[in-house]
Amino acid sequence: MKTQLKLSTALSVVAILSSGAVYAQQATLDVTAWKGNEAEPAGLPELIEKFEAEHPEIDVELSYIGRLDTDTVIPPRLQAGDPPDVMMTDMPLVKIWGDAGLLADLGTDSEWFARIPDGLKASISSDDAAFIMPLEVIGMGNFVNMGLLGQVGIEEPPTTIEELKATCGALADADINPLIFTGGFSAPLFLIANGIEGSDVPASALGSGDSTFVDSASFNSGIDLIRELREARCFDPDQQAGLDPWSTALNEFSGGNFAMMPQGAWNIASFNEVEGLDYVFAPIPSSKESGVALDLFGIGWSIAERSENKDAAKVFVDWFAQPENLQIMLDAESAYSPFDDGASGTPDLAAAYDQSRIDGGVINYPFAVLDWPKALESEIWDSLTGFLLDTSKSNSDVLERWDWAVEDSL
Amino acid sequence: MTSYRSMILFTLPAMIVLGMFFVYPIFLTFQMSLTNFTGVGEAENIGLKNYDRIISRSRYPDALWVTVKFTVVVVLIQTLLGLAFAAMLHRLPAVRNFARAALFTPAMMSFVVVGYVWQFIYSPFSGGLNAMLRGAGLDWMAKGWLGDPDTALYAIAFAHIWMFTGYTTAIFLAGYANISSDIDEAGRLDGASSWQRFRHLEVPLLAPSFTINIMLSTIGTLKTFELPFIMTRGGPDGATRTLSLEIIEQLFGQYRFGFASALSIIMLVIVIAVAVFQNWYLRRREDV
Amino acid sequence: MPALNIRQLLLNVLVVALVVAMLLPLFYMITMSFRTATEIAEAPLGLPDRLAWENYAQAFGGMNYVRAVINSVGITISVTVLTALLGSMAAFPLARNTSGFARIFILLVALGLATPNFVTITPIYVIFRDLGLLDTYLGIILAFTALNLPLAVFFYVGFIGAIPKDLVEAAKLDNCSDWQAFWYVVRPLLGPATATLSLFVMLMVWNDFTYPLLLLTDKDKFTVTISVYRFVGNQNIQPDMLFPAAVLGSLPLLILFAIFQRRIVAGVTAGAVK
Repeated sequence: MKTQLKLSTALSVVAILSSGAVYAQQATLDVTAWKGNEAEPAGLPELIEKFEAEHPEIDVELSYIGRLDTDTVIPPRLQAGDPPDVMMTDMPLVKIWGDAGLLADLGTDSEWFARIPDGLKASISSDDAAFIMPLEVIGMGNFVNMGLLGQVGIEEPPTTIEELKATCGALADADINPLIFTGGFSAPLFLIANGIEGSDVPASALGSGDSTFVDSASFNSGIDLIRELREARCFDPDQQAGLDPWSTALNEFSGGNFAMMPQGAWNIASFNEVEGLDYVFAPIPSSKESGVALDLFGIGWSIAERSENKDAAKVFVDWFAQPENLQIMLDAESAYSPFDDGASGTPDLAAAYDQSRIDGGVINYPFAVLDWPKALESEIWDSLTGFLLDTSKSNSDVLERWDWAVEDSL
Repeated sequence: MTSYRSMILFTLPAMIVLGMFFVYPIFLTFQMSLTNFTGVGEAENIGLKNYDRIISRSRYPDALWVTVKFTVVVVLIQTLLGLAFAAMLHRLPAVRNFARAALFTPAMMSFVVVGYVWQFIYSPFSGGLNAMLRGAGLDWMAKGWLGDPDTALYAIAFAHIWMFTGYTTAIFLAGYANISSDIDEAGRLDGASSWQRFRHLEVPLLAPSFTINIMLSTIGTLKTFELPFIMTRGGPDGATRTLSLEIIEQLFGQYRFGFASALSIIMLVIVIAVAVFQNWYLRRREDV
Repeated sequence: MPALNIRQLLLNVLVVALVVAMLLPLFYMITMSFRTATEIAEAPLGLPDRLAWENYAQAFGGMNYVRAVINSVGITISVTVLTALLGSMAAFPLARNTSGFARIFILLVALGLATPNFVTITPIYVIFRDLGLLDTYLGIILAFTALNLPLAVFFYVGFIGAIPKDLVEAAKLDNCSDWQAFWYVVRPLLGPATATLSLFVMLMVWNDFTYPLLLLTDKDKFTVTISVYRFVGNQNIQPDMLFPAAVLGSLPLLILFAIFQRRIVAGVTAGAVK
């Protein structure tokens, strides 16, 4: 940092001397993000260093603010006129802050916007304004411990329901816990992927109340499917109740106590550090041969409307859209590029997931592209936690609550 | 007697603070409860829709029911436990001061600390409670106490009771100190047993202590938020989602300021109604 | 009566055993704080193999402990002074007045005593935001003052009501103004009431979670309680961080309690009874 400062001072002195005018004014960008700390670096420390070296006239100060804290910490700053210049955002945040006029329009005429695939373009812009520059798309799929599957003679990760049931049975016979299936996250991924895949109506119709979950054949059969998985001895509900999807569940999987776990690819980096863990990242098993690749359009940069360093902020944001820079983040996150260049940072062990994307099994996680309201997410987690503990509950007991959550947020 | 003018002047600073941060906010809460305000931007008037949602969705009556269950369990057990300790300590002057101070110690800690410590005690894998049960050969009783909807609320209630039993005991002991020793002596001379004296002399004479204890713990637990927030975040499946926790959840999880305000108004009505009823009932009982 | 003495002795032992059982979680918290995460995972109930002071070093730095203690102390003192001053001032005329204004004021105060802070948290957040009070010491001090003021007024009304009327009347005859009567005659007598009140204020400010959670976001302004919450919460509940943070978070009040336990218990109980 210090040498950096010295270097940039030296450079601006040179600039002043050579042009004879105050030309390179130093700007300090206040950037907030819920990545970039030690647990989830996402390549940010390295990227910022690179950026400052290439743009000596701009200093970047990154502060880490957790995603949950972002909800309470940032809005007062945005409104009180003391906003960060650049903020990490996702679509639920962009919806609220953008609509309230707190974010700067990054322009749909920018170079990078043209490179976004059409499907995503519609989702991330509103009224011809783009409030977010997307950074990555991350896969959510099925982590499979191949070492454990090998012990029961299975060589391929399951991608269909039938394969999944057969795998569960074989594992259970050998006294290996087959599947982490917490109501808090893993089970919903499975149900959402299968429900949307088989649905007659687009996901957005369900999220806008135009059609209901209660009447959706695919979501009803998705819940039946969970009962079938239980029959097939894929999971023990009481055991799941003790697992926290964000901490203990991850440890249990990486410790080799469970064979499979639906989760996000951002875990790959830390799983790779576990010695002797032989695993792959596969799609979520579904009725389709390829399984479902559930893509999460995760994060991006936004600029505050009241930022005093808008020009520098734009330089910073545009810089991340350069493929050679973005690649550093994609590699750190095991993510896909949100642009149409097909770049990705996924390692070989995610080949099965990659293949499913190629075979057309991609579904966008509906909350990330605002097809479904955010309030529905926690309702799904809650309702499935309750359902897993008592699978005698009827399908409509569960799905009715989803429809209410949708209706309440309209 | 002070003049009217100086009464206004003396109370003015307090009035300003109370007005700005108590009266005006209550008024604002009511106003916001009729809108779909999201905390930023414009609020749209939507009439009684928020209230209609609250009564027509099982989620919110459920949260109220959780709150009531929690309050009843805590108030009942804490009062009885405090009374039992006080009655014993009243008869055992040798250990009274030590025990009173020791029992009071947890009340000096914050909900955050108590919540985290008990969360770990209850945790399924390396938590203290399960380890103790296994050590005692009671393996079948070991479980994820906070992960099971049947036990989560009671597990939290237990932590709350642990925290405040010393407080209740101290108030009952203060009540005992006000009972004239003549009365106790008279009971003894009449040949009343320790239990008879407790039941027929002490309990009626402790009526004011009952009033204070029950009112304090009821008001304290009706608004419970901290322990469930830290220990379970309201889970599993809403089994520990109290009304206060729901308000915070709506406010900062979902930016539904208007809806959270409607919940707040309902909470205000309930708390005031309970406080007024309890005050009336318990005071009447004191006079008998 | 030797039989009775043995019974008495057994009862004493029984009660002490029960009290010690109630203290087990505290003992657990302290023991665990000196053990490493591996030790706890392998033997959840054991004693520390050696005192793992590095746990404390980590928590001490991670919590920004010294700063947090200074913040808590500063906020507590400010709130106590403000609450005591505003509360006793308001109570002075109200204590012996039965006019409509006084009645309404007392009723309002009673309402304030019963109202949970959740009812007003939403608008307070909005008001604070509009006034630029979010994330400021002044804001959190005002919020706590407003929360404690009803209690203070109640306290002082009862206390001032018990001061002999003649004292104030005599001062008036000596041509004292109302303010002089309050400041030089009544205020010096309020010591005991203020001591009890500050006990309540200290406990509430030190341990309150809701207000600093929502109103303070700058980690340099965190109180001890909120720094425990943020420190433990950001680390996914690791026992080797949780327990030392819990001990550090409770330590100042526990030390105070160890020294003044009699006066604290008596004060808090008397305050509640009044």
